[in-house]
Amino acid sequence: MSDTEFDLAALRKVGMIQQKQKEYFAMRLHTVGGDFTSAQLQRVAEVAERYGRGQLHLTTRQGIEIHFVHHSHLEAARQALESAGITMGACGPRIRIVVACPGKLTCRWGIIDTKAIAHDLDEKYFRQETPHKFKLSVTGCPHNCAKATENDIGVMGGISPVWNRDTCTDCGLCVNICPTGAIQKNGEDYVLNEAKCINCSICTSSCPSGSWTVARRGYILWIGGTMGKIPRLGTRLGGLIETTDRLYDLIDRTIGYYRRNGRKKERFGHTIDRIGIEKVNEEILHGV
Amino acid sequence: MEYDIKIQLDLHGVACPLNFVKTKLALEELNEGELLEVILDEGDAMLNVPRSLKEEGHRIVKVEPLGETFRVVVEKGSS
Repeated sequence: MSDTEFDLAALRKVGMIQQKQKEYFAMRLHTVGGDFTSAQLQRVAEVAERYGRGQLHLTTRQGIEIHFVHHSHLEAARQALESAGITMGACGPRIRIVVACPGKLTCRWGIIDTKAIAHDLDEKYFRQETPHKFKLSVTGCPHNCAKATENDIGVMGGISPVWNRDTCTDCGLCVNICPTGAIQKNGEDYVLNEAKCINCSICTSSCPSGSWTVARRGYILWIGGTMGKIPRLGTRLGGLIETTDRLYDLIDRTIGYYRRNGRKKERFGHTIDRIGIEKVNEEILHGV
Repeated sequence: MEYDIKIQLDLHGVACPLNFVKTKLALEELNEGELLEVILDEGDAMLNVPRSLKEEGHRIVKVEPLGETFRVVVEKGSS
């Protein structure tokens, strides 16, 4: 069997990746934020046993790959998965599956509904073509468990705190637990250094007298993060974004900017470094 | 400022959640309004224990850095 009998590019587009054992393929499955139902996992296991060698691989993007599926079984395996609501993933120069942490639905630190946002982004962008691979992540707060800063676009929940003098009992907890030393005591007042604040909510959730409260709540957008051969952490785009509409607008502008300016095989972060972060930020935030 | 500390507890090196459990047991020896002094490690201990104490109705009176640990004065709340 020669390579030419497969349309490898078409197969890669739907997450079927030829292994070095050329008769065999890895089937990369679609997921949003790594969520599967128990029934779906059972079906994945059945398909791996029936059409593969019972060998599964958990990917770094919270996905699942079924390895060693013979090319003659790809279509049957795919149908068996789809009947359980499991669709195929993506490979190549396009938007990959969206990663997300559990977010505010279950995590005590979660500030945003990561799953809802991840589903919106998945619905809008998944598998669309881009100059090079393009990855999105949604993380509930600045603890950054879903590594928003290692993705081409990372959405992060965040809050902006404010101090209330009337209720403060001057215990000093905030000064001592702020992870960046953004809170300092100045005379009788506790003062927030906004340039140092990472919007994490540790002060507002810990303050014993409820004197640090949430003034604003929203999203922080990180752009241009990548791991791979030339790692680069994401750059923060602007301040706290207070509406989902504005968030989605900025994400749309960012992907559009990359499509217009990114070169083939150039990750978005490297496009940013080539053009200059100030120019890129300006065009995304204020461009047409 | 000097406090009338009834019990002192050094939890340096004691991990979560055992540090909170020990703090809670010590507070059970006190009457409402009395003070406990507890030494907690920086990091997770400081992130979790004061927050859990607050949820249980106790009051953090003072927090002071002490090298890699913190001295935390807790007032027993009504339970």
